[in-house]
Amino acid sequence: MTEKIRLVDDNGIRTDGRKLDELRPIKLEAGVLSNADGSAYIEQGKNKILAAVYGPREVHPRHLALPDRALLRCRYHMAPFSVQERKSPAPSRREIELSKVIREALEPAIFLERFPRTAIDLFIEVLQADGGTRVAGITVASLALADAGIPMRDIVAACAAGKADGYILLDLNDLEDKEGEADVPVAYMPSLNRVGLLQMDGQLTPEEFEKAFNLAIEGCKKIYALQKQALKAKYLAIKEAVEETGQK
Amino acid sequence: MSEVRSSGHFVVPGEKLGVIEEFIPNSGTYVDDGYIYSSRIGYVLIDFANKKISVYPAARNISVPKVNSIVIGWVTNVQDSHATIRIIRIGRKFLSGFFTGVIHIADVSRRYVDNMYDAFRIGDLVRAKVISNKNNTYHLSTKEDNLGAIYAFCSQCGDLLIKRRILKCMACGSIEKRKTASDYGRAPL
Repeated sequence: MTEKIRLVDDNGIRTDGRKLDELRPIKLEAGVLSNADGSAYIEQGKNKILAAVYGPREVHPRHLALPDRALLRCRYHMAPFSVQERKSPAPSRREIELSKVIREALEPAIFLERFPRTAIDLFIEVLQADGGTRVAGITVASLALADAGIPMRDIVAACAAGKADGYILLDLNDLEDKEGEADVPVAYMPSLNRVGLLQMDGQLTPEEFEKAFNLAIEGCKKIYALQKQALKAKYLAIKEAVEETGQK
Repeated sequence: MSEVRSSGHFVVPGEKLGVIEEFIPNSGTYVDDGYIYSSRIGYVLIDFANKKISVYPAARNISVPKVNSIVIGWVTNVQDSHATIRIIRIGRKFLSGFFTGVIHIADVSRRYVDNMYDAFRIGDLVRAKVISNKNNTYHLSTKEDNLGAIYAFCSQCGDLLIKRRILKCMACGSIEKRKTASDYGRAPL
């Protein structure tokens, strides 16, 4: 290393041309897979993630079934071709942990107690990764759950904030995540005003942390609006198609 | 968050629909801290006469077997005292997956059944009623006239059995016994 990479220039513009509090461009789509009960797809900058939901269905192996609620099983997985260097397709320590935190971020949003002794299986497949895949994974997963018709308290939106070059930034990309000083992923339920996931990697002062946290919440609210729009787009399209065929 | 007050409005889970003082929360909604929220994707349905508010589902409607629901399934295993049923349909809805249920020999018919193999065979399509979900199992019964096998297959050659007074295979002439439903062979699927 000869010189440290500059992540934010003198005008407050980041390496990918964004402002400090700007999200990457997001494309969200619900109901993209025909064989799953519910599905969704997200492109957030260079991230491309697919989520599929099955269930509520019978639990196998049977001893895992819970007598009072549904079992939410979550698999976060990165495709071997999702990163520069080929990633082994076997679940890594990191993927197992992310599966757990994603599950725990989504569990409070779902009415699991309405489907005792069943399982809801959630698959999050990262096709292309560029930083912030855990939060993008939560964003698509909750869209897929809603698309599957699973009763929910709220849609979960997730977004990260962090610190790089001394600036507090919204929605870090891979470079800012790796070279920056800190990363704060947050999952948030906007209409209930509840946080489902809060992690921190790196070092921040209490003031910086609060600033980053608030910035992430603002990002979540923007993402929530996009999630609502994506669901609306799918179901209103269906409604129009039905009405058109009805008129013929 | 803006409150939604008109019928037919598209909502997603978590959208505020009103307060409990105005409406009785009905299907597709839930109450938290005095507010009524939507719990699914759908269209708001307000019944002003009865002061009820519900969300008409736009996404898939989920079905799981409940006590008293009528289910249809394949017989996957028959033992001396039990038959195992793979439930593929609940009420009028086909499942995307399946659930497993069990019929005990005592719940097959109102009459005494000596041998389970005289009631069901592997591959039969059976209509049954869920009588219990105790012990992590769906217990089914076919103790009514309209319950029992609706399509059954010959144990010798696998052809569909035809019911006149007796169950007979038209391909090989074998005569078989089943607990059949009153509309055997005529049930629409």
